[in-house]
Amino acid sequence: MTQYSVFSTRYLLLLAILAGCGGERAGGPAGSAKATGAGVQAQKRITVALLPKRKGVPYFTSCAEGAQEAAKELGDVELIYDGPTDGSATASADMIDRWVQKKVDVIAVSPNNPDVLAAAMKKARDKGLHVISWDADARPETREFFVNQATAQNIGCALVDTMAKDIGGEGEVAILSATAAAANQNEWMKYMKERLAEKYSKVQLIDTKYPGEDQNEALKLAQGFISDRPSLKGIFGISSMAFPAAAKAVRDAGRSGKIMVTGLSTPNDMKEFVKDGTVKSVILWNTRDLGYLTVYAAHALAKGELKAGDKTLQAGRLGEKTISGDNILLGDILVFTKENIDKFDF
Amino acid sequence: MTVPPGDTATRSRRCHGILAVRGLLDFPYWHELVLVMLLAALMLWARWQAPDFVTWETQLDLSTHIWELALMCLPMTLIIITAGIDLSVGSIMALSAVILGTAYLRWDVPIGLAAVLALLTGAAAGALNGVFVAWVRVHPLIVTLATLAAYYGTAVGISHGMPLSNYPESFRLIGGGSLCGLPIAGLLCAAAALFSAVVLSQTAFGQALYAIGHNETAVRFSGISVARIKLLLYTCSGLAAGLSALLFVGRRNTANTDIGTGISLDVITAVVLGGTSIFGGRGRILGTLLGIALIHETREFVSWHWSKAELNLIVIGALLIVSVLLNSLLSARRRLREY
Repeated sequence: MTQYSVFSTRYLLLLAILAGCGGERAGGPAGSAKATGAGVQAQKRITVALLPKRKGVPYFTSCAEGAQEAAKELGDVELIYDGPTDGSATASADMIDRWVQKKVDVIAVSPNNPDVLAAAMKKARDKGLHVISWDADARPETREFFVNQATAQNIGCALVDTMAKDIGGEGEVAILSATAAAANQNEWMKYMKERLAEKYSKVQLIDTKYPGEDQNEALKLAQGFISDRPSLKGIFGISSMAFPAAAKAVRDAGRSGKIMVTGLSTPNDMKEFVKDGTVKSVILWNTRDLGYLTVYAAHALAKGELKAGDKTLQAGRLGEKTISGDNILLGDILVFTKENIDKFDF
Repeated sequence: MTVPPGDTATRSRRCHGILAVRGLLDFPYWHELVLVMLLAALMLWARWQAPDFVTWETQLDLSTHIWELALMCLPMTLIIITAGIDLSVGSIMALSAVILGTAYLRWDVPIGLAAVLALLTGAAAGALNGVFVAWVRVHPLIVTLATLAAYYGTAVGISHGMPLSNYPESFRLIGGGSLCGLPIAGLLCAAAALFSAVVLSQTAFGQALYAIGHNETAVRFSGISVARIKLLLYTCSGLAAGLSALLFVGRRNTANTDIGTGISLDVITAVVLGGTSIFGGRGRILGTLLGIALIHETREFVSWHWSKAELNLIVIGALLIVSVLLNSLLSARRRLREY
């Protein structure tokens, strides 16, 4: 009896496995034939897979909203938005592998680690899929285009223009950067200095300090600016550490509204300083538009409307966008002020 | 037991029924059977929902995601059977990968030698765990929790967090190459799994592991060197992590400190899902292999079909709870019967 029941379970097990294998082999070609049939009937839909650095953070969620808006507008776009919840590059690479097997049309990657993703992205291109990067650039040979939210020149000019407006066109200003070797910041400062020399002769840049990535050091240096220079009118905080530190130093010194602080940040991080008047303007790009433009670029690429060497791209409500080399430029800088900052939640 | 005379007919009938139930409960592969059924159900459903997912080509391609984890699950099964645990495998993987990259790209060591260095690093890191567990006799949870942080820190210190990329084509074969249409990494895993299964089920060494899990003191008094066995196990675990690092670097063509982040818990999840008791004394390689397969297929299919990474976490969690519940239900009934 015991023997019998054991045997019967083993047979069941074997049967289950056999059934699985048989189904797989028999169903294979039939399944793909059905898929092609559907494709011929309806208009060919374009599947775009949008990969953020990390899923579930407000910055990327707002990008995804823009992407969905574009997909709805275009009508023939199937949008997949997925990414690692822990920001792991390995998980991102696994996702790209899956999309390659799934044969999506375009993969748009915001690489959390360009090196780890390079092999997977290259494989995707070898298999004939379109690959673009957005938000942050990948290794150039692994993608066709980069949807660039803001060039260094855009950012540098926007910072200077905003500050000049906030302090009324004249006075002394100082910069609080990141480390002396930080490539992004140095690039921005180059354009900031050019812009100042070109358009604002009455605004004098008196000092630049490098607190590194250390919040306390940034606070100390900002306090130094305030106590050493009674006539100081504005501080640029151009790293994620420096901006809030500078704002805090000004507020603690009771100089809110007398010394203007500006820089790059997501709105939620700086909301309290904007509300109490220490910061008049926060600069960033429109994240919604970034997602929107990425989907338009992906769609045009899949349709063959966008090719290497093109100079412009038509992107729905954003109008005509410039392409510089293989960079599709979003271009517009968004300024958050007391009036509009509550409309943005990321 | 006294039985009223004249009632023998009913008694024998009842016994017959009980015997059948007992026979079913005695069936030693219940847990494995449940996993196979879950796996079969998943694949049939996947076949119906997303035909492209259940094809040889797709499955072969996606299987590359699992070999590193599978390799580390094997020694982990043995360790957990002895009522131990190794939380540091992910960090050892990162450390080995960074040593490989630094040796090859910065010190200009030939790739073969760099690979050996990486394996030795893994084994040494594992051995250090073993020394603390076996001789200093600190609880493995504490030892490996400490080295989880320490090895990761060392990896970041050596590489300064910079990715180390571009390896020769010949080296990349171990991670991404194939032999007779089968992935080399997979064949490597299969060989390792077969070896572990034979050692665990057919040798005195394997029996000793179960005995340690049940009652370590008794084993020590019977003259077996528990310390030496543990040292060997943790060293093997480190070596497996080192080998996994080679597979990963070969596959992704880059070494980086983040490659092992979170993988330790995935390894333990697969082993426990496979029916190995976290309290030691019970478990099999077959169960672990099924646990790995189930986790892998679930993860791939959920991502494939719903494109929601967050859903994956929930499904894996639910799967683990269901399997452990089933397991404890079955073993509770079996234990009840023994008394």
